[in-house]
Amino acid sequence: MRNRWCIVCVLLLSVASVAFGTDYAIVVNPGNPARALSLVELGKIFKAKTTIWPDGKGITLVLREPNSPGTKFILEKVLGGTFDEEKAVLSDPSRKTVVPVVFAESDEEVMRIVGGNAGAIGVIDVYNITGGVKVVKIDDKQPFDPGYILKGR
Amino acid sequence: MKTRNYFFWMVIAILVASAVARAQESAPAASATDTIPVTTHSTLAQHAYEMGMVQREDRLFVDEGLEFFRQAVKADPQFALGHAALGYFTADPKEAKQESALAVKFIDNASPDEQLLIHWMNSTKNGETVVAISAMNDLLAKYPNDKRLGNLAGEWLCAYQGANERGEAVLSRLLKNDPRYYPAMNNLAYCYALSGQPQLAPPLMEQYVAALPNEPNPQDSYGEIMRMLGDYPAALEHYKKALQINPHFNASQVGVASTYALMGDERKARAQYLVAIEGTRERSTQIGYRILYAMTYYRENKPRLAREEFEKVDSEAHVAGLTVQEAEIHRAMALFNPDAASAFKDLDEAREDLSATSKNNLLPGDRDNELALILQARVFIAVNAGKIEAAQRTLKLLENMAQTSRSTPVQEAYHSANGAVLFAHGDYASAIAELQEDPQNPLSLQLQAEAQTKAGQSADARKTLETLAAISDERMETAFAAPPARVALKRDATRTTQGGAN
Repeated sequence: MRNRWCIVCVLLLSVASVAFGTDYAIVVNPGNPARALSLVELGKIFKAKTTIWPDGKGITLVLREPNSPGTKFILEKVLGGTFDEEKAVLSDPSRKTVVPVVFAESDEEVMRIVGGNAGAIGVIDVYNITGGVKVVKIDDKQPFDPGYILKGR
Repeated sequence: MKTRNYFFWMVIAILVASAVARAQESAPAASATDTIPVTTHSTLAQHAYEMGMVQREDRLFVDEGLEFFRQAVKADPQFALGHAALGYFTADPKEAKQESALAVKFIDNASPDEQLLIHWMNSTKNGETVVAISAMNDLLAKYPNDKRLGNLAGEWLCAYQGANERGEAVLSRLLKNDPRYYPAMNNLAYCYALSGQPQLAPPLMEQYVAALPNEPNPQDSYGEIMRMLGDYPAALEHYKKALQINPHFNASQVGVASTYALMGDERKARAQYLVAIEGTRERSTQIGYRILYAMTYYRENKPRLAREEFEKVDSEAHVAGLTVQEAEIHRAMALFNPDAASAFKDLDEAREDLSATSKNNLLPGDRDNELALILQARVFIAVNAGKIEAAQRTLKLLENMAQTSRSTPVQEAYHSANGAVLFAHGDYASAIAELQEDPQNPLSLQLQAEAQTKAGQSADARKTLETLAAISDERMETAFAAPPARVALKRDATRTTQGGAN
């Protein structure tokens, strides 16, 4: 018996596994004063049009592998096009010096890099958030807020 | 109200704790830093907290566990973690709000890691999910060997967040480290059953019952899993075995009753519910069982008797100050009310139950979740009655709530109600998409199947009906929507057979 389970339990064998998506969180170093970005500002960071934070620190973008479902989803949401159209942005050779992109093998690695780099900004599954990073709002909304733009399915 | 002696339970729990400790002797020894510290100046409070955890989390003796937590905060009224645990586990929304507030008030008495645990417990209740996740992950990383912590986290992820994959990972890791940590085995089985892998649940249950043959909860869980899978005879068998082991394990008593109710034997169900009601000391749980008892009359199509019974329970819930339950009672009466105007009055009463005075007694999340369900029911009833303007007016209220609430139930209720209004306007494609946002609600599934049929998606409609028909739980929405789905599928099957014979 799980008392609380009893109240909410529903057998949805065919749909349960697909019914819940996850929200993706945009995270920065806890020392970064940034609390919120607009989706447009985030897009500029992804495209390396914005290269520094307001305090002058250089921006590093930390993502999971380019072909991971999360990165595909984020690229499409942030940049607006299809993944095939937008993925070239990440491999642009000029990015080695401005807004370099670091690919991590896990969300834990994303957080480790962001936690250790004052200018880093990363994307992770919200369920992996720890106190080692800070979640920034996108268009004034954070994960689980109604209308949050980076809600995956 | 509490007739059983605290010390009696203390002795029982110490014996169980000793047994558990003996059973775990061959497991890696836990150091003092393996578990989150528990800070209180009172030895009695410390013991009572531990016994609360043994009863509530390890043995699933829910009422007894709560009673220990109450004893803990009575022994040390400034015991922050004790207040937080009581607020987290209680089913009484008023108590949850009071205890959460006391945990915050005395939080400076707790160690930093306890404070993090208190933040997690409180945040899960007030909709601060990002804060809750962050606190939970920090604690899991710092205390990888704290089994109760991992078990609590896994349960929360699967049962409340629908983050099944993550919850399964947490629980599986616990079992990898200690294959005999049975509370995690129990939760993992439920997690599998809810995440589309039901075939993985019974083998875990077999291990669970074999490992703890003298404990009632393994048999009870097995019964519940089998009921979820629709195997009612097997469910009854396991519930009855649990009661043979411990005739006072009331969860199994209500399990027997609800299984009979789902099987359509409402007389037997009522007789068993009465035993369960008698055997429950928690007032909120008792009222919950009374609601299930009253539901049996709706199940057997005796609405007058159902209303009479619901009105009696409503009076008792009112006296006990259980406002959410009062609202739930009126919502049930509305759902089964064939007259839309009268149903609206029921829903007005439900909203009144939650109004002004209750604000002081309820966590905002509890209040908003119930209010969203009331508004959702109103939209559905209005749409069914062809009162589209009334449905739209109510939808607007729900939309306003959804714009500011992070609560999943509020969001789901809004999307579902929006789907109902879109359905009424004949925009079936958009209606389907919105109704799919509320995938656990039988009312939404029912309308979704109808929308899919009207949109010419008959295969999808059938699949939705099959999903709806397979739901085997105690909710009023299931009692309302699942039986017609089963009838429709049976009718289709008969038609197909007859067509084939011709």
